[in-house]
Formats: sequence, C-alpha cells, structure tokens
Amino acid sequence: MDLLAQILINGVLLGGLYAVMALGLALVWGVLNIVNLAHGAFIMLGAYVSWHLYTYLHIDPFLGLPITAVVMFAVGYAMQRGLLNLIVRAPMFNTLLITFGIEVVLTYLAQLAFSADFRTINPSYAGDSFQFGPVVLPVARLLAFGIAIILTVGMWLFLLHTKLGRAIRATAQNLVAARLYGVEPRHLYAMTFGIGIALAGAAGGLYGTVSQINPYIGASLTAKSFAISIIGGLENPLGVIVGGLFLGIIESLAALYIGPTFADVASFGVLVLVLIVRPSGLLGKTA
Amino acid sequence: MSALRVPLILIALAVLAAVPWFGSDVLVQFGINALLLAVLAQGWNIIGGYTGYASFGNSVFYGLGSYGVAIAMVQWELPFAVGLVFGVLLSVIFAVLLGIPVLRLRGHYFAIATLALAQVMTAIVSNVKLAGQNIGLVLPPLNNDLLFYESALALLVAVTLTIWWLSRSRFGFGLIAIRENEEGAAVMGVNTTLYKVMAFALSGVFSALAGGIHAYWVTFIDPESAFDISLNVKMIIMAVFGGPGTILGPIVGALSLSAISEFLSSEITSIAGLFFGIVVVAAVVLMPRGLADMLRRFRKTGWRYFAENIRANRL
Repeated sequence: MDLLAQILINGVLLGGLYAVMALGLALVWGVLNIVNLAHGAFIMLGAYVSWHLYTYLHIDPFLGLPITAVVMFAVGYAMQRGLLNLIVRAPMFNTLLITFGIEVVLTYLAQLAFSADFRTINPSYAGDSFQFGPVVLPVARLLAFGIAIILTVGMWLFLLHTKLGRAIRATAQNLVAARLYGVEPRHLYAMTFGIGIALAGAAGGLYGTVSQINPYIGASLTAKSFAISIIGGLENPLGVIVGGLFLGIIESLAALYIGPTFADVASFGVLVLVLIVRPSGLLGKTA
Repeated sequence: MSALRVPLILIALAVLAAVPWFGSDVLVQFGINALLLAVLAQGWNIIGGYTGYASFGNSVFYGLGSYGVAIAMVQWELPFAVGLVFGVLLSVIFAVLLGIPVLRLRGHYFAIATLALAQVMTAIVSNVKLAGQNIGLVLPPLNNDLLFYESALALLVAVTLTIWWLSRSRFGFGLIAIRENEEGAAVMGVNTTLYKVMAFALSGVFSALAGGIHAYWVTFIDPESAFDISLNVKMIIMAVFGGPGTILGPIVGALSLSAISEFLSSEITSIAGLFFGIVVVAAVVLMPRGLADMLRRFRKTGWRYFAENIRANRL
C-alpha cells in the first residue's frame, strides 16, 4: 500500500512536468494548426540553456527559468517570423515535414555544440527530500511540479484575461475575423510560437533538474507531449494538466506492475485508445 | 505516358539491373539500401500519396516483415521464402486489425496514432520471447549481394507496376477520390473503409517484403532497428521530395536523396545529417509539391517557380 502511494505520488510529480512540456505544443497546435515535431528539440535546447546558466554563471536552475524562457522566446519568435510563416498555409503534411527537418537540424547543432555527453543540473539541494507520512517527496521534483502547475494555470489566465491572450484565442477561432478586428497575423503567429517555445524552454529547464539531458532526448519528449495534448484536448490549457497527470500516473503504474519497458506501451496504448474512442480528447467536446 | 518514356524507363531499368556486373561492391551495397528505401517510399506512396493518409506507421510493416523472416528462419528453421510470406501475413493482419479503427481518424490525428503504434510495437516486440526480446535475432549469413540487389530491384519494379495499375484502375480512382474528398467519395458509392484498409494493407505488403529482404541481407535484427521510427520519416521525405501521388516521383526522390546523403557522409561525415535536415526544410519551402512537379513547371516559369510557391503558402 505504501509502495502504491509512493508510485502514485511519483506519477503525479512527473505528470506536472509532463503538463508543461505539452503546454507549448498544444498552444501552437491549437492556434497555428502546426503540429511541431521539433517541440522536443526545443525542450532539449531549453535544458541546455539552463545547464549553461547553472554551470558557468552559477544561476540556480529554478531562478534561471525566466532567462531560459526569454532566450527561447526569442528563438521561437524569429523562427516563426523568418521561416514557418512562409508555409503556414501549406497542406498539413508539409508543416509536419518542415518541423521534422527543424528537429533534425537542432539535434545535430546541439550535438556539435554541446557534444553527446549526458549532462545533469545538480543544485546543492538536488538530493534532499521530505518524509510525508509513508511517502518520500524529493525537493527538486516537488519544486518542478509546483512551477509546472503555476505556469499552466498562469497560461490559462493569460489566455482568458489579457489582450494578447484574447487575440490569440480569436485567431485560433477565426483568422479572417481576427484580422478584421485589427490582429496583425504575422506578428501574432510569431508571438504565439514564441510563447510556445518559451514554455518548451522552461519545461526543458525543469526536466534538466530531475533527469539527464543529451541532444537526443527531443524525439521521445515530442511523442509524449503529443499524447498529453490529445488526452487533454486542445481547447483548454487546464486539460493539459489532466493529460500530464494521467500519463505520469499510467507510466509509473505500468513500470511497477508490468515492467519498466512497458511504460511507453502503456502511454502510447492509451493515446491510441483515446484517439479511437474520443478523437477530441478526454475533456474535449465529442466530435 | 508518352511514346518516348517507355523505352527510356526500360533502358534505365536495364542499367540498374546491370550494376552488379560493372559496379564495385560498395556501389552494390549502396544500391541495395537505396532500392529498398525506394520500395518503402513507393509503399508509402500508396497510402500517403494516393489515399492522402499520412501514415507514420509504415515502419511497423517493415519491422513485421523483418521479424517474419527472422522468426521463420531462426526459430523454426524454415526457408527464406516462407519467412517472407509469414512477414507479409503478419503485416496484412496488422493492417486490417488496426487499420479499421485507426483509418477512421483524419489529418494530424491519423499521423499521430500511427506514430504511436510504431512506438508501441517496438516495446511489445522487445518483450516477446519468440522474437528474441530486446537482444534480437541473428540470421544465417548468405554472402550473395547479387541476389539481394536483384530481388530488391524486382520488388521495386513490382511495387511500381502496382502503382501504375492504381493510376488507371477503378480501385486507384477510388483512393484518389478519398484523398480529394472523402465524403464525396462515399456519396459516389466508394466503400471508403474497405478501400482505405486495402490501400493500407497493400502498402504494408511491399514494406514487409522490403523488411524481409533487408533482414536476411544484414543478418541481424533487433527491435530498435527493425521498428526504427526515423526510417518512417525517411520514406515519407523521399516520397514527398520526389512527388507524392505520382508513379515515378518517390523512386527519383529515394535514389537522389540516398545518393546525396551517401556522398555527404563519405565527404563531410560530421554534418551529413545536418544537411539532410536543411534539405527537408528547403524542399518544403521552395518545392512543396516535389521534384516531379518542379521539373515539369520549372521549364515554363523558371526561377519564379520558387517565389510562387512561397507566395502561395505564406501568411
């Protein structure tokens, strides 16, 4: 029973991090209708930015997150403005291919620049943990979880209540109408992509504190982000929390009861089931 | 098809078939790889190019084909041909069982569901004892590159003839109708579910055969390499680069991209992969309808062709 409680807690803590990973992907997908196959690569880059800040400038990985986010925002804005805006009206398939191409390029550049070695961001408190009844709560994971929830809820409030957030939602609903109301789409698309990449960067910074990073982590993180976005649905950022927690718990349970190699089977099996039964997500409207 | 084109294709085919007699061992080995990739690109062309369903799961068929041969030859000690049939059988079963639910999905959702299936298969096969779990299987070696080369070429001819037949048959027109407007096709009396599953299975048959030949050729398979997802992306890029939904486009794409990447990896090893990514990005921006379309139109419009493509797709 204690073991089960611990596993569930681990799953929840992992799930919070998963939620932030998927948040940016879901935003870009929902608004720009681009499924960004390079999303995981941007998470990887964010993790490296955080790692450099920590290793060379000794900035705490959690305090350094805003810097990582700003750097990644700039990268994302430039990429959308300079490249992706050229193809947003192309068929869906071409956007998949171009983001895959970007993924390959980013992974190679990262490998050239940072080498293929595993890196970890290990602040002094990395090994600390709370004993809470029968379960252990590692400090770093707990902090990452807390920031993840704050970011996700913050994103939700931002989309609901700010001018830019409203413009983003309006564009997602109807580009032509949004244009008539004074939205400048090239800038807005770049802002949205920038925010999505900033979130990916922040997720990368958090990921670096709880796991090892290398240039190749991107692809599997993209796949997980997909699964979460689909389970949670694209309409509402809060859905991503549900999707993230769901995936985190399923993976932890599968690893315990069926075997660690089945963690991915469980998560992707759930993804396929959700797609078949409820294509607009567990929380989404029925298709 | 113009009168000149048939002899040209036959000559090209004769030259390709003669490669093992005048080419070096390295060229033949490169040829086997490139031809098998061309088969995969053509197989994808059936479901992705003609039917309009962007499958990211064709590597599953390839993997099932490889494992069909490996299991039959290693575990049951049956001949290679029986292994091929077994692999094809596995693929068709997979295409029908999973195709029926998954082919109901459209667009991104279909692409992602198939991608997820490919991930799941890797993990499942690494836990199956018969398939050697995650260690893999070692096949009996056969040092006969000539045989592998010619059978890969024969397979490519077979898949291309099938696609040529598609482009002029009732079945093929049904698939194109599904790609252009699925509801419309259904209204016109196309049994869309049956057609889509058949296209998926047909695509799977050729991918499985390519996987089987490859497995026997390299004599070793493990789940990671057999169900490699990047292989999937490769075949799609080759098909799209050449021109999806055309008869010869994917072959041109596969052979030219294989040649480029082979040349680069021998000349400037470290950035070959980087170049591959850049080619993909540039191709999507500048020639989104593939090499075949570019060659056709470039003569008329010249350099404006690229500017027009950008203008058509930008925000």
